[in-house]
Amino acid sequence: MTDKKDNRPSEYHVASLVASPILAQLDEVKAVITAVEGAEIHAVSDEGKIVFTVEGTGFKDLDKKIDIIRVHKGILNLSPVYHQVLDEEQEKKLAESDKTEVLSHQITSEN
Amino acid sequence: MTINRREFIKANAVAAAAAVAGVSVPAVASNLITSSDITKLKWDKAACRFCGTGCSVNVGVMDGKVVATHGDIKSPVNKGLSCVKGYFLSKIMYGKDRLTTPLLRMTNGKYDKEGEFTPISWDQAFNVMAEKANDALKKDGPEALGMFGSGQWTVQEGYAASKLMKAGFRTNNIDPNARHCMASAVGGFMRTFGIDEPMGCYDDLEAADAFVLWGSNMAEMHPILWTRLTDRRLSAPHVKVAVLSTFEHRSFDLADNGMIFTPQTDLAILNYIAHYIIKTDRVNKDFVNKHTNFRIGQTDIGYGLRPEHPLEQKAKNNDKTAGSSKPIDFDEYAKFVSTYTVEYTSKLSGVPEHKLEALAEMYADPKVKVTSFWTMGFNQHTRGVWANNLVYNIHLLTGKISTPGNSPFSLTGQPSACGTAREVGTFSHRLPADMVVKNPKHRAIAEKIWDLPEGTIPPKPGYHAVLQNRMLKDGKLNFYWVQCNNNMQAAANINEEAYPGYRNPKNFIVVSDPYPTVTAQAADLILPTAMWVEKEGVYGNAERRTQSWYQMVEAPTGAKSDLWQLVEFSKRFKIEDVWPEELIAKKPDVRGKTLFDVLYKDSSVGKFPLTEVPEDRLNDESRDFGFYIQKGLFEEYASFGRGHAHDLAPYDRYHKERGLRWPVVNGKETKWRFKEGSDPYCKPGSGWDFYGKPDGRAIIFALPYEPAAESPDEEYDLWLSTGRVLEHWHSGSMTQRVPELYKAMPDALVYMHPDDAKKRNMRRGDLVKLISRRGEVQTRVETRGRNKPPIGLVYMPWFDASRLVNKVTLDATDPLSKETDYKKCAIKIVKV
Repeated sequence: MTDKKDNRPSEYHVASLVASPILAQLDEVKAVITAVEGAEIHAVSDEGKIVFTVEGTGFKDLDKKIDIIRVHKGILNLSPVYHQVLDEEQEKKLAESDKTEVLSHQITSEN
Repeated sequence: MTINRREFIKANAVAAAAAVAGVSVPAVASNLITSSDITKLKWDKAACRFCGTGCSVNVGVMDGKVVATHGDIKSPVNKGLSCVKGYFLSKIMYGKDRLTTPLLRMTNGKYDKEGEFTPISWDQAFNVMAEKANDALKKDGPEALGMFGSGQWTVQEGYAASKLMKAGFRTNNIDPNARHCMASAVGGFMRTFGIDEPMGCYDDLEAADAFVLWGSNMAEMHPILWTRLTDRRLSAPHVKVAVLSTFEHRSFDLADNGMIFTPQTDLAILNYIAHYIIKTDRVNKDFVNKHTNFRIGQTDIGYGLRPEHPLEQKAKNNDKTAGSSKPIDFDEYAKFVSTYTVEYTSKLSGVPEHKLEALAEMYADPKVKVTSFWTMGFNQHTRGVWANNLVYNIHLLTGKISTPGNSPFSLTGQPSACGTAREVGTFSHRLPADMVVKNPKHRAIAEKIWDLPEGTIPPKPGYHAVLQNRMLKDGKLNFYWVQCNNNMQAAANINEEAYPGYRNPKNFIVVSDPYPTVTAQAADLILPTAMWVEKEGVYGNAERRTQSWYQMVEAPTGAKSDLWQLVEFSKRFKIEDVWPEELIAKKPDVRGKTLFDVLYKDSSVGKFPLTEVPEDRLNDESRDFGFYIQKGLFEEYASFGRGHAHDLAPYDRYHKERGLRWPVVNGKETKWRFKEGSDPYCKPGSGWDFYGKPDGRAIIFALPYEPAAESPDEEYDLWLSTGRVLEHWHSGSMTQRVPELYKAMPDALVYMHPDDAKKRNMRRGDLVKLISRRGEVQTRVETRGRNKPPIGLVYMPWFDASRLVNKVTLDATDPLSKETDYKKCAIKIVKV
């Protein structure tokens, strides 16, 4: 069953994760992550821990993408850290209140 | 604008993950995460709802609903990490089938045990409950009443329930589902040390040179601790990991020494290690002479089955002497374990000799700091208390205990198995702070704190979990209230020993749950329950860490917390309904009062006014009852342990901390107990002080290998082990309702060796029946995947309500701890 058939409003999902790869396979693991649509690497620690996000349109979409990474042999540990959902209604409401806030610019410029 | 909003949320996500990985992030992004006016989320901390690790999570609330969670970066337990279950925590409360009204089985508007579930009001629900409870009381006395609670109850709920049953209704027939997971650990602690719960703490994870996993699959069951262990192993190359199990699982990926042993032979391996330490002259003699005693325990103690079972008929010492022991000296002990040679142990266990030797050497080497972890493999064992005793032997012989990295560490399965079940003492034989009902001095202490007349608490231990099911079936336990657990799925041998009792026409069964679980559906009355951050509470984790949280959202209309249910129900009973005249005569001022008045409102529970509840906080129960009930319950409970090595901090402090490890003395938590310098209760100059025992000495026990209750034979030719999976928490009543967890692991499969499948003409995906002497269950075959059983053993998890593996398991228990062995029974598998 797809999310659309569920008749739910469209959603934006973002998750952040930390992957601990086998160091010898760091480059390979990084390549696997970046090959997934909606996935982006933001930082790699000195110990080789990879900080990345995955964006998607629904739980299943997100989960499918994370699964591709999860099953990779070069990953010893995959820790999900943060997850947030915005549905259409919440997004509208927040966009309204954004009109009085300026901070969103800064974030855009930081990224 | 929308795009910016999304990027903003993404920046939050990056900041959180970067903090966890220890990499720097742009300053703006790292500030954002806590900036609630920008995110429109109100963030607060709570202990995770799931396992015994006790992670702290940050919970984000928007418009009265939990919409985001992440690991709490300030938590010393999880340091910002979360596992896949914790990660989707926000969704457990929003399953589509959440219950919002009491449901009673009715026909033509009247209660009927064979009727259909019909919505009724709370008032009607309590009326019928009170009527049934009173009937049972009048007919057969307090012993006809019982309650089955949980290591997922908050501390306050467990305490309120215990007080209601033991002092109010005057029955000790209250037990938690922690009986199924922790009772053997408790038995082990009490027998070896005289005081419950681990001496070490999670800081051992960063200090140890070697880790040994005894049966535990931490990679799946305690993923956050596993992450810390993985970090230690990868960052310190000398660190070694040994993993023992009856089948290969994910934790073997990191193992330097992975060992598959024949079920039950862990007892022999443990004794072999002790023998090796003695044989190679590595006993820490100074430690052993000063801090230990040796005893030999009773043997042939039976299997905790019904008395008429052939195994019980055969057992010589399955009576009151089962837990007894006699003093011996070191030489006698050395002689006792000398029969466990490497040759004998290897042959019995199937583990190659060189692997056993490598394991034993790790423990024996005085330079290696060893931490041992175990959970259900030891505890769900017909000799579970023994297994716990035997692992302590090894740490005591070498003095590797109570110092950083030297730690025999019993992990827990539930978020408050330690806090609520063990420390509060919601077991049928216990009172708070390790006290027991059969000890007259302990009863007197409890009666004094509760301000109740002498003789209120009955001296006889009540029915434990397994016995409750048997007594329901036999019609001896007639009014039964189940809260916060799913025992129709979790109990062993459901067909013969669980379901018949629930449906026995003599009995009235009440089940409180947020969801229509298997257990709820077997009940006569279902009460809809508020969960997790829909109420205020306290949990205690496996390292003695006590954590609190505030109510953050309203429960769905109609759902009420277990605490509210218990306390509201107590208003239905006058003291004269439940206490005999001679008891009332000892304290005449209780006459005419309700149990609510006597146990809660007019006791020290009721002394904290509503004004102490922060104004901006939700607190449905306190506002309903008119006093700060969670604080009152906690403070009264804490008075049992303060000054008795179970000290808790003042309640309000927990709201400001990411938990504190008891004993908390002079405002300071205790990391390693029993070691002078880190534990304030140790006598000066003692070095180590095992003060749970009168002479300050822990006990090294001589206990043998004895076979399992049931082993494969010609007809039932396979071992069956049951257990858990990463994605689901226990019976799955919460996690199966999270779509991505369901999708990741929808059905419980039977994992088997490809050769075993081939021999039976089966292929991966085939529909098969698992058949035991007690029942059968259908599922599909899995020959690949994360669990790789050896030939002769299959593994099936128990989270799946549509495939109840406990229809085939055996209700054999450890006669000492009364905990069921879910890891060993004999089955056959046939194609459907």
